[in-house]
Amino acid sequence: MPEPVMMLRSGQASASAPPRRGGFLVTRGMLASEWIKLRSVRSTWLTLLCALLFVLAFGLFDTLSVTESWNTMSAADKASFDPLAEAFAGMQIGELAFGVLGVLAISVEYETGMIQTTFSAVPRRGKVFAAKAVVGGGVMLTAGLALAFVTFLGGQWMLSAKNLDVQLADPGVLRSVACTGLYLAVVGLIGYGLGALIRHTAGAISVMFAVIWLTYGATHAVEKWSYLPDRWLLVSAYQTLSRIHPQSGTSALRAPTTTMAFVELAIYLLVFLGLGAWRMSRDA
Amino acid sequence: MTAQSSLPQRGVLRSFLPGRGVLRSEWIKLRSVRSTYLSVLFATLVAVVLGVLATSSDASNWATMTAQDKAQFDPLGDSFIGLIFGELAFGVLGVLAISTEYRTGMIRATFSAVPQRGRVYAAKALVVGVVSLVLGMLLVFGSFFLGQAMLSSKHLEVHLGDPGVLRVVLSAGLYLFVVTMIGFGLGAILRHSAGAIAALVAMLWLAYPIGRVLDHLSYLPSRILLFNIADAITRTHAATGKPALRIPSLELAYSSLALYLVVFLALGAWRISRDA
Amino acid sequence: MIEVHELTKRYGPVKAVDRLSFAIRPGQVTGFLGPNGAGKSTTMRTILGLDTPTSGRTLVNGVAYRTIDKPLRVVGSLLDAGAVHGGRSARSHLECLAVTNDLPRSRVGKVLEQTGLSGVARKRVRGFSLGMRQRLGIAVALLGDPPILMFDEPVNGLDPEGIVWIRNLMKSLAAEGRTVFVSSHLMSEMALTADHLIVIGRGALIADTGMADFIQSSSLNDVLVRTPQSRYLADLLTAKGAQVIAAPDGGLAVTGLTTEAISQVAAANGVEVYELARRQASLEEAYMKLTDTSVQYRATDPGKRGRR
Repeated sequence: MPEPVMMLRSGQASASAPPRRGGFLVTRGMLASEWIKLRSVRSTWLTLLCALLFVLAFGLFDTLSVTESWNTMSAADKASFDPLAEAFAGMQIGELAFGVLGVLAISVEYETGMIQTTFSAVPRRGKVFAAKAVVGGGVMLTAGLALAFVTFLGGQWMLSAKNLDVQLADPGVLRSVACTGLYLAVVGLIGYGLGALIRHTAGAISVMFAVIWLTYGATHAVEKWSYLPDRWLLVSAYQTLSRIHPQSGTSALRAPTTTMAFVELAIYLLVFLGLGAWRMSRDA
Repeated sequence: MTAQSSLPQRGVLRSFLPGRGVLRSEWIKLRSVRSTYLSVLFATLVAVVLGVLATSSDASNWATMTAQDKAQFDPLGDSFIGLIFGELAFGVLGVLAISTEYRTGMIRATFSAVPQRGRVYAAKALVVGVVSLVLGMLLVFGSFFLGQAMLSSKHLEVHLGDPGVLRVVLSAGLYLFVVTMIGFGLGAILRHSAGAIAALVAMLWLAYPIGRVLDHLSYLPSRILLFNIADAITRTHAATGKPALRIPSLELAYSSLALYLVVFLALGAWRISRDA
Repeated sequence: MIEVHELTKRYGPVKAVDRLSFAIRPGQVTGFLGPNGAGKSTTMRTILGLDTPTSGRTLVNGVAYRTIDKPLRVVGSLLDAGAVHGGRSARSHLECLAVTNDLPRSRVGKVLEQTGLSGVARKRVRGFSLGMRQRLGIAVALLGDPPILMFDEPVNGLDPEGIVWIRNLMKSLAAEGRTVFVSSHLMSEMALTADHLIVIGRGALIADTGMADFIQSSSLNDVLVRTPQSRYLADLLTAKGAQVIAAPDGGLAVTGLTTEAISQVAAANGVEVYELARRQASLEEAYMKLTDTSVQYRATDPGKRGRR
């Protein structure tokens, strides 16, 4: 039995309010704990597997349909052909899976009540939030990059039959693939922030989906006044970051610059993680 | 028919006939969960506001629009631009109507009160269906009238009496109903909110790559995607160019919609008769 | 050592806990009693830093829970045994908690053994019975080998064997010099386990006393006397300063005199006595009497309604 921890420091006696000291600094143990939590639940692996299968299958089939019809395609179609966009055709399913994973990482703890046990082991809630974000973000970034590279290689392997493939060393290709992985992690972390904010799986998934995919309805509604809201959509940021050929026509008006796209991703992350952290510091 | 054999074999239809008590119980369940109607209410608000925004931007920018933009102008489409949020909320409502009972274990209490599971399912489906149909119609007619009022300042509005308009407005409401019931079926099949909602939104919005993959063989898969069905039944002008090939005819659209409804409700009914 | 100072917790207009103060000492099992909704769980949640008090404070070993660096080594707690992710195995559940406080992994195996869960350690918690979940919750509490333990309704869902097990566990933990604080609504169980009692009603303290004193001080302790000359003896005893109530079956319930004194009075006056028995209130009766006015949710007793 360890000796009772007697810390009768006078300054701490009134510290019933959450302490600010070392707010988000996490220990290795906390990170290990979150890793065990993520790893020990089957739905984590099922979700990632689903993402991989759908993204690969859609990407490969879409690429296949292009290579098969290439000889009969019109010149205009050939000109607008983007070898990466075809391979990444199923990426939205992957994004959905990552977002759901991020939501579940926290919402289930609230729904089961496990969060109370977590907080009694680590009473500083900011640290719990940070540890989860670091581990979740790390896992999703790794998985996202792996998914993006595997899909890229698969797609290019199919395109190489018609010599339509591009290499990682070609201009913009590496950035596009890496940004796809990054984007998957960002979507996952937005899901995580929303899960912490809403504490309810169904609600958080719905809002996450609306924020990422349905907001175009809102921005298109005001398009006749300004294209600025269009450029602030997450999907527009991803379009800019993932395409090798710049877009044309109306799509170009809706696309932000590369720098802006990165800034937008960062701001989305900040806002949603900030909201989640704020809510988590409130009573469970 | 003997008493022993009558339980499982009694007419399939009869085992799905809910009594008034079961119906009322399901109505109370749906009504008493605040999050359900709050989310639907919120989505309705968003949908109506976006419709008003889109149509008022049309009206205020009409003078400076290009001839091409004017030709593509769709007075109905713009007042329905926010309906996607309605679809999401209605679909989620359908999922939650059943999945939460499984998550909380409430379903066991429900089944011990009414052991004929088919009746529980039918009662739930009926209540959720009627509620979504009524709310859906309110939403689309509200969006329609507000949107047209915005357009009337530039005399761009259409009227219910104009050809096809009433059908389109009704179809938009019907679509909300079908989406709700697909969500309901998915909730019964998967018994898990997160999975069912993810599957629903993937089907509604993210499935188009499936169609595109098969486009060079046949446009039929594209045409029976919910996304394109919705497009077909809520459109007043015919589409042009490549997208037009993916949009089904009205007959195909309505019959596939009915097929979706039947398939998902039937799968849910089959699944609910399995052990909870 | 757990200290609660002037604790008040308000949920909107409702005061769940109202200026509650007490201290839980080491080396004994302290029972926490109160009707449903009296504020027991809120108080325990506040001690664990899960709820922020409206005013007042709670300290464990002299510090606020939220400032403790490795709290599982200081306080072990079981609040809600159902609060586990169903898809996780018992071992993973314990492991992910152990590593946050830098506890060696060997502790996980040890508490699994201690709670009799070694055989199902790799099974997913979803399939656990209520009793097994309760054991897992206790395993979490024991994980850090803490000097302070807090259990909210620990015997819920346990079978008789499990109840004896947890009773002995709590007693042995207290005997090792630890602070054991346990809430329960099962009076008979509490009477067998607790040495000290904290009783609250409507969020306020009603009693903070030793188990023996609590039962002793109840007005329900009396002496039953059965005699053929009950009216005569009643008058004699009343004259000696006792309070005498005639029981419906003809016996006398006497308070204020010991059995010896009653016997002397009877013998001196030649009164025949058939039965002379000291009656001690059970914890349950003493408790019911004490909390009678502070019950928040009361089932209406149809038989008594007319007489009130």
